[in-house]
Amino acid sequence: MWRRSPSFILDERRSSNSPPMADTTRGPFQNPDSISAYYQTRAAHHGVITSDWLAQAQAAVGGVTGEDQPLSSDNQLGTEKSFNVIEEFNNWRKQPDLAEAVAAIRALAAVIRASEASTMMELEIELKKASDTLKSWDKTSISLTAGCDLFIRYVTRTSALEYEDFNSAKSRLLERAEKFGEISCKARRIIAMLSQDFIFDGCTILVHGLSRVVLEILKTAAQNNKLFRVLCTEGRPDGTGVLLSSELSKLDIPVKLLLDSAVAYSMDEVDMVFFGADGVVESGGIINMMGTYQIALVAHSMNKPVYVAAESYKFARLYPLDQKDMAPALRPIEFGVKIPTKVEVERSARDYTPPQYLTLLFTDLGVLSPSVVSDELIQLYL
Amino acid sequence: MPDVQSTVVEFVNKLRKRKIEGSQATAKCTVELLRSVISHQRVPHANQAAALIDAVKAVGEQLVAANPVELAVGNVVRRVLHIIREEDLSLTTAAMGGLDLLDASDDDDVDNCKGIGYPAMSAAVVAAAARSTLRPPSLQTLLEGTPESATVPYTSSSGADSESKTADKSSLTRKLKHDVIEGVNQLIHEIAGCHEQIAEQAIEHIHQNEVILTLGSSRTVLEFLCAAKEKKRSFRVFVAEGAPRYQGHLLAKELVARGLQTTVITDSAVFAMISRVNMVIIGAHAVMANGGVIGPVGVNMAALAAQKHAVPFVVLAGSHKLCPLYPHNPEVLLNELRSPSELLDFGEFSDCLDFGAGSGSLQVVNPTFDYVPPNLVSLFITDTGGHNPSYMYRLIADYYSADDLVM
Repeated sequence: MWRRSPSFILDERRSSNSPPMADTTRGPFQNPDSISAYYQTRAAHHGVITSDWLAQAQAAVGGVTGEDQPLSSDNQLGTEKSFNVIEEFNNWRKQPDLAEAVAAIRALAAVIRASEASTMMELEIELKKASDTLKSWDKTSISLTAGCDLFIRYVTRTSALEYEDFNSAKSRLLERAEKFGEISCKARRIIAMLSQDFIFDGCTILVHGLSRVVLEILKTAAQNNKLFRVLCTEGRPDGTGVLLSSELSKLDIPVKLLLDSAVAYSMDEVDMVFFGADGVVESGGIINMMGTYQIALVAHSMNKPVYVAAESYKFARLYPLDQKDMAPALRPIEFGVKIPTKVEVERSARDYTPPQYLTLLFTDLGVLSPSVVSDELIQLYL
Repeated sequence: MPDVQSTVVEFVNKLRKRKIEGSQATAKCTVELLRSVISHQRVPHANQAAALIDAVKAVGEQLVAANPVELAVGNVVRRVLHIIREEDLSLTTAAMGGLDLLDASDDDDVDNCKGIGYPAMSAAVVAAAARSTLRPPSLQTLLEGTPESATVPYTSSSGADSESKTADKSSLTRKLKHDVIEGVNQLIHEIAGCHEQIAEQAIEHIHQNEVILTLGSSRTVLEFLCAAKEKKRSFRVFVAEGAPRYQGHLLAKELVARGLQTTVITDSAVFAMISRVNMVIIGAHAVMANGGVIGPVGVNMAALAAQKHAVPFVVLAGSHKLCPLYPHNPEVLLNELRSPSELLDFGEFSDCLDFGAGSGSLQVVNPTFDYVPPNLVSLFITDTGGHNPSYMYRLIADYYSADDLVM
C-alpha cells in the first residue's frame, strides 16, 4: 500500500503470490530463502579466507555429485547433468579471484566436455538447457546471465559457418572457453592501463565497494609511482571498506575510511569517484552494491566525475526503469542488536545508477561514454 | 627520398614556430605532405601496408611532437593510417574472393595467381579474421581470439604473390599505393570542402528574425551565416569581440560587407545579452572524443551563460577537427600561452612585470584556448550532418582505427 513506483504492479503480484508459491513452483534447482547466492558468495569472498578453507574448496572442485538424488527416473540423466552444471559452477565461483562470468563459462565448458552429442545442433541444445538451468538457479547475478548469453551466442555464431568437422569445432569451443579466464584477467589489465591517464598526481579518489577491477587500477597507478590518496566508504554490511583499506595500505597508498553517511561531507575534497559494477545495463547505467546510486547523486550534484570500471562481458540486456524493477537480491543484515519482530529491514543488496550520473565507463573495449553501451549490445545481439 | 625528408623537416620547423595558423590550413598541409611521403615510399612486395603504415607513423610522430596543441595534425595522420588499413583490407578480401571464384570454376578471367593450392583455410575464416583487424574490439569478438589470426591474410596474399611470379605481382603492389593515394586525395577534397558542406545545413537551423551570438572569428561560422543570408533569411548577429586579439572586429566587418545586421559587444557583455539571443554558434578548434570542445578563449563563458538561459549552443566543426583522444586536464595540456604583449604594453609595465629576476611580481597569462565540457553543447554540425555530443564515438569509430590512437 506504500508503493508509488510503476513497478508496484509487479510488487503486488509478487507479494500476493509468494506464500502459495513457496513449495510448488520452486523447482529442485532454486536456492532456498530467496537470498541472493551471488551476494552471499561475494560476502564469503570478503570474509577471511584461510588456506585450509581454500584447500577444501579446491578439493571440492574435482568432486562429483554422488549424494544428490535425482527426482524422477524420467529425467534422471537430465537432472544429473544439470546438477553437474550447478555444482561445477558453485565450485568455480568459490575461488575468490575468479570472475563470475568466467565461472559460468567454465561450467558450460564442462558441459561440452561431458556431452555425448554428435552434431552441433545437439550440443547447442544441451548448452542452452544448461545455461537456462544456471540462470534460473540464481536470477540475481547479472554477470552469470551475461556470461552464459555471451557463450551461447558465440557457440551459435561459430558453429555453422566455419568448421565442417564437429570434433574440431568442439575442441575450438573448449579452447576458447578455457581461454576466457585469461581474457578476463587481460581485460582487467587493459582497463587498468586505460584509466591511468585519468589519475593525476595529487588527486583524491573515492571508492565504494570492493571491486577487483578498481583494485587493479589503483595497484597499477601505485606501480607507476603516481601520488594519490583514496577515501573508501565503510560498505556496510559487507565491510568492504576495511578490506579495501587493508589491501591499499599494503601498497603504501594513503587511505581514509569513511562512514557511508560521511560521503557528502567529504565530497568536496574528492577529485573523482571510482566504482566497479555487477552489471552494466542497456541504458548505460550500472547495477552495483547498495550505496552506489547515493554516492553518484552526491558526486553529480557537486560536479565530480564518476568513473565506472567494468569488463565488457558484464553488459546485460536489462533495462530497469526504477530501483525496484530488477529481480530482488536480498541479503541478511546484522545490526548487532535485536530488532523487534514488527520492524522491517530493507535487505536489498544492490541498486541501479542511471546513466546521467556516470561520466565514463572504462572497459576492455576502450573508454566509453554511457551511450555507447546500447550500441555494443545491439551489435552483439543483432 | 631525401627530397621528401627535407620537406618534412621544413614542415616540422614551421609547425614548431607556429607559422601555420588555423586547423584547416594545417590539416591540408599535413595531408599533402603525407601524400608525397606515401608516393615516394618504396614498398617491399610483401606486407606493403605495414611498410606504408610505418613510414606514415614515423613522419606523423615528428609532426605531432612539433606542435602537440594543434590536434588537427594528429587527426589527419590517424585518418591516413586508417585509409591505408582500409584499402589494404579491401584489396585482400577482393583477392580472397577472386581465388575462391577460381577454385570453384576454372575461370581464366580472374587475373590472380592460378592453381596454387591454398592451405586448408576456408574463405570465411580468413575474411572473418581480416574483418576483425579493422573493427575496434567489441563484445562480439570478445571470445573470438587473438589478433594473431589477422596476420593470416597478409602472409597468404604475399605468399601467393611471391609464388606466382607474374606481372600481376607488381600490379598488386601498385594497386595498394594507388588506392591509398586516391583515398588521401579524397581526404584532401573533404578537408577543403568542409565549409560548403556545413554551410549547406545553415538553412535548417537559422530561422526568420532570429538573433545569433558568436564569439571571435571563424571562417566556418562566416560561411554558415552567409549561406543562411543567401537563402533570404533575415536575422541579426551579435559578435563578441574575442579579446585580446579582437578577431570579432574582422568578422563583424565581413558580415556587414555581406549585408547582415551586426552588433559588436565585449566579451564581458555576453551574459548581459544572452537573454536576448536565440542561438549561440561557435567554431571549434578541436572536438574531443567525449564530445568536449576546444575553442577560442571565452567560449566556456558563453556556453555557461547559454546554459543558464536555456539558449542552444551549436558548435560547427569540420571532420578533420574530430580528435579520438580523451581530454585529461585540457585547460593545461591542450592549451597554448601566447605572448603577454597582446594584453599589456611592455613599456608601461616594465617596472612591475615579473621577469624572473625578482624585481616585479606581476604575471600575465594569455591562454589561446578554452575547454567546453560536453554537457554544455546542444548540437555539433559537421560535414556529415548534425549530431549529439554523445554520438561522437560513432564518428570516431568510422574515421579512425583503434591501433593508431597511441602515436
